[in-house]
Amino acid sequence: MSDQSIVSFRHVSMQFPGVLANDDVTLDINKGEVFALVGENGAGKSTLMNLLYGMNTPSAGEVYIKGGQVRHFSPGHAISQGVGMVHQHFMLVPSFTVAQNICLGCEPKKFGFLSDFDKMNRIASDLSEEYGLEVDPHARIQDLSVGLQQRVEILKTLHRGADILILDEPTAVLTPQETDELFSVIRRIVKEKQMTIIIITHKLYEVMAISDRVGVMRSGKLVSVCNTKDVNERILASMMVGREVLLDQLDKSDTHEMTEVAIHAENLCAVDNRGLPALRGVTFSVRKGEILGIAGVEGNGQSELVEAITGMRDITGGQVTIGGKSIAGMTPGQVRSLGVAHVPEDRLSTGVSSPADVTDNLIVGKHRQKDFSFLGVHMKRKPIRKWAKELFDKYDIRGAGVDVPAGSLSGGNMQKVVIAREFSFETPVLIISQPTRGVDIGAMESIHRLIMEKRNAGCAILLVSADLDELFRLSDRIMTIYEGKITGEFQPENITKSDISYYMTGAQKEAEA
Amino acid sequence: MKGRKLAEYLIALSVSVVLALVLGGVIMALSGHDPIEGYSLMIQGAFGKPRLVGDTFAKAGTLCLTGLATAVAAQAGIFNVGGEGQLYLGAMASAIVGAKLTGVSPIIGVPLCLLAAMLAGGLYAFVPGVLKVKLKVDEVVTTILLNSAAIYFCSYLANGPLKTMDRGVNAGTDKVDPAFMFDKLIRSSSLTQSIFLTAIIALFVWYLMRKTTAGFDMKLTGQNGRFARYSGIKSDRLAILSMVISGAICGLVGMFEIFGLHKRFITTVSQEFYYDGMLVAMIMRYNPIGIVMMSIFFAAMKIGGLTMESSAGIPSSLIIIIQSIIIFFMAAENGILQAFRSWRAKKKVALTLRKEG
Repeated sequence: MSDQSIVSFRHVSMQFPGVLANDDVTLDINKGEVFALVGENGAGKSTLMNLLYGMNTPSAGEVYIKGGQVRHFSPGHAISQGVGMVHQHFMLVPSFTVAQNICLGCEPKKFGFLSDFDKMNRIASDLSEEYGLEVDPHARIQDLSVGLQQRVEILKTLHRGADILILDEPTAVLTPQETDELFSVIRRIVKEKQMTIIIITHKLYEVMAISDRVGVMRSGKLVSVCNTKDVNERILASMMVGREVLLDQLDKSDTHEMTEVAIHAENLCAVDNRGLPALRGVTFSVRKGEILGIAGVEGNGQSELVEAITGMRDITGGQVTIGGKSIAGMTPGQVRSLGVAHVPEDRLSTGVSSPADVTDNLIVGKHRQKDFSFLGVHMKRKPIRKWAKELFDKYDIRGAGVDVPAGSLSGGNMQKVVIAREFSFETPVLIISQPTRGVDIGAMESIHRLIMEKRNAGCAILLVSADLDELFRLSDRIMTIYEGKITGEFQPENITKSDISYYMTGAQKEAEA
Repeated sequence: MKGRKLAEYLIALSVSVVLALVLGGVIMALSGHDPIEGYSLMIQGAFGKPRLVGDTFAKAGTLCLTGLATAVAAQAGIFNVGGEGQLYLGAMASAIVGAKLTGVSPIIGVPLCLLAAMLAGGLYAFVPGVLKVKLKVDEVVTTILLNSAAIYFCSYLANGPLKTMDRGVNAGTDKVDPAFMFDKLIRSSSLTQSIFLTAIIALFVWYLMRKTTAGFDMKLTGQNGRFARYSGIKSDRLAILSMVISGAICGLVGMFEIFGLHKRFITTVSQEFYYDGMLVAMIMRYNPIGIVMMSIFFAAMKIGGLTMESSAGIPSSLIIIIQSIIIFFMAAENGILQAFRSWRAKKKVALTLRKEG
């Protein structure tokens, strides 16, 4: 253990039932550095950081923070040692103000029991000034963008005295500008305040941009630790996956002779779960052999758009036709019968039934077909299982087989189950939402290839994604959506990512006004 | 994988049963009774004589049907607490039909009585089913409320408009045609031919839940309703259907009581039979085969408990305490399973580390 190391893992292993999530990890993290931890889904990055944050107790090995061995694993203890963690899903109270959230759990008191709101606001504004994280202390969390909410999370941990900050996939929900801002904040607090930052991420170019050193994890083991300047994205990717990854070779065949329109939306309107307008007159069409990408900052109507087209949400105005037929008033099942398959944005709540086994999740929708049931009543278990096994192998799903609950698979493999099922319907229309969210680079590569194969075979594909790289890689056309309206349409060859994010944030509208 | 899971489950279940019996024994010993004698009396009381075997299996039949009724609804994600009311209406409807059809050949009469019971129970369960699906009214609230409505309505009929003129009957309807009654299989026990129908229904429910596309759809609806809708499953229709089947089974339980035992509708036709069945179903986590097994165990405990009281003088309250403890431990089986798994996981890590080190 070197003198400068602030955090030390010594032969740490973590056994969960059936999974060795961390396998003999030894790692030193130095004071004042930005350390990136990369790896595929289920490689054990988050598990390792959860140990540091005291969420779990390691099955074996030792953890040292600032030279002292951690004997009692709990978040409370970790926080007292100066460890702070910003989770992927923010833990903020939406109806509270920024200042209230920052002080949550250690509120300043007046007369010993009344919350001192003035002091809270002072604390919040002092903190945000000290660290250069601009934010209005009086604003309510629910009114803030995701980027600002993340800032509040960081301030919250700083207020609790953290000098070791763990960021779990901090850029997954951010626009490119917000990511840039976050990075400049990270650089500043590291330089000026001697903070130590550990960042968990999937995005390798971010590793290159922000980190001093990088650790690569693969199936629970720490396979490599190097200085960032000694490696490049390609080397990192192959270390993560354990083989060469080629992210830039996709066969895009010429499908321009196909002109038939498969999906057409005309002036489409829908409301969100609170009954507020989410789509305000969206018009577009997707022809066969084409991928139309929808780019937007989350919460600008993309989710509602996908739900309206697939019958999951009522259409309140305008209309949608698929293959020339209007889908007004149809259930999701009826829309499917028009030849639509749908990869939903949230696989856990919509895409799978996690307690059901993988077989059930792969067969659903086909289980009344002649091959799989007798008269549509008696399920033929044998052919069903055989079919599921074939899909399992064909789509390279990795897990304990087809008889385990889908919920026991890692996120990326669960996503492959959804894709395997939906793509095997062989439908002419595909609605795909966030296909690679939280998916590692190896799985991402194969999912992209599958989507492109579908396009080349003549499918009409609507692709909604928060990942601009993905949209640029796959789409024939990209449309931007902002506050429920289409704000622009582009050829990916003719526009840059930063220009497109300009349209995603409605800046163009303001410029016109 | 599946075999190991089953083995783990059986280990956990046996551990919980043994723990429960030991603790029950300690309580018996503390209150001055010999636990060995107590338990052997319980077994004798349940299986010692043909009559007792008959009683045990009759009880098991009732528990098994009510348990399966709970399980069918639960498979589609509905918690039917209204079985008691559905049972009463089924009993009343079949009693009315059975009395009105006096003189008709049993080949026509009995099926009509069965049908009446199923219709009454099924329709009464249809109401909360529709309310849940169409108006999102919580089914637990509606079924509990409808229980009282049904029980008091039947009580009103039996005391009022349909009250029999027969002497010595306090509150009851006219007798059903004696030719419609189920024959007893063992003399002076309550086991009747209805046990065969019970077996057929149990087989049907198991088949429906485990082997059919409808059962598959129900399962997915119960596990994740949003996923089911997304997949194109007609969840609403299935939820109502499962509720109707559940209610129809409860109606039949009521009918079996009348046509096996009471000969007419009486207001004490059920002593909360449905709640016992619900308990069995929940302990077995709605597994149909498990429910059948556990029903026999439960029935043996209940019927055997009667002998414990009469022969060993162990007060019935103590027997209920012991029975409750046993149920408690069985319900804890899941926790025991978890503890067992994490203990084994820890051991495995220690082993691998030792090997490497």
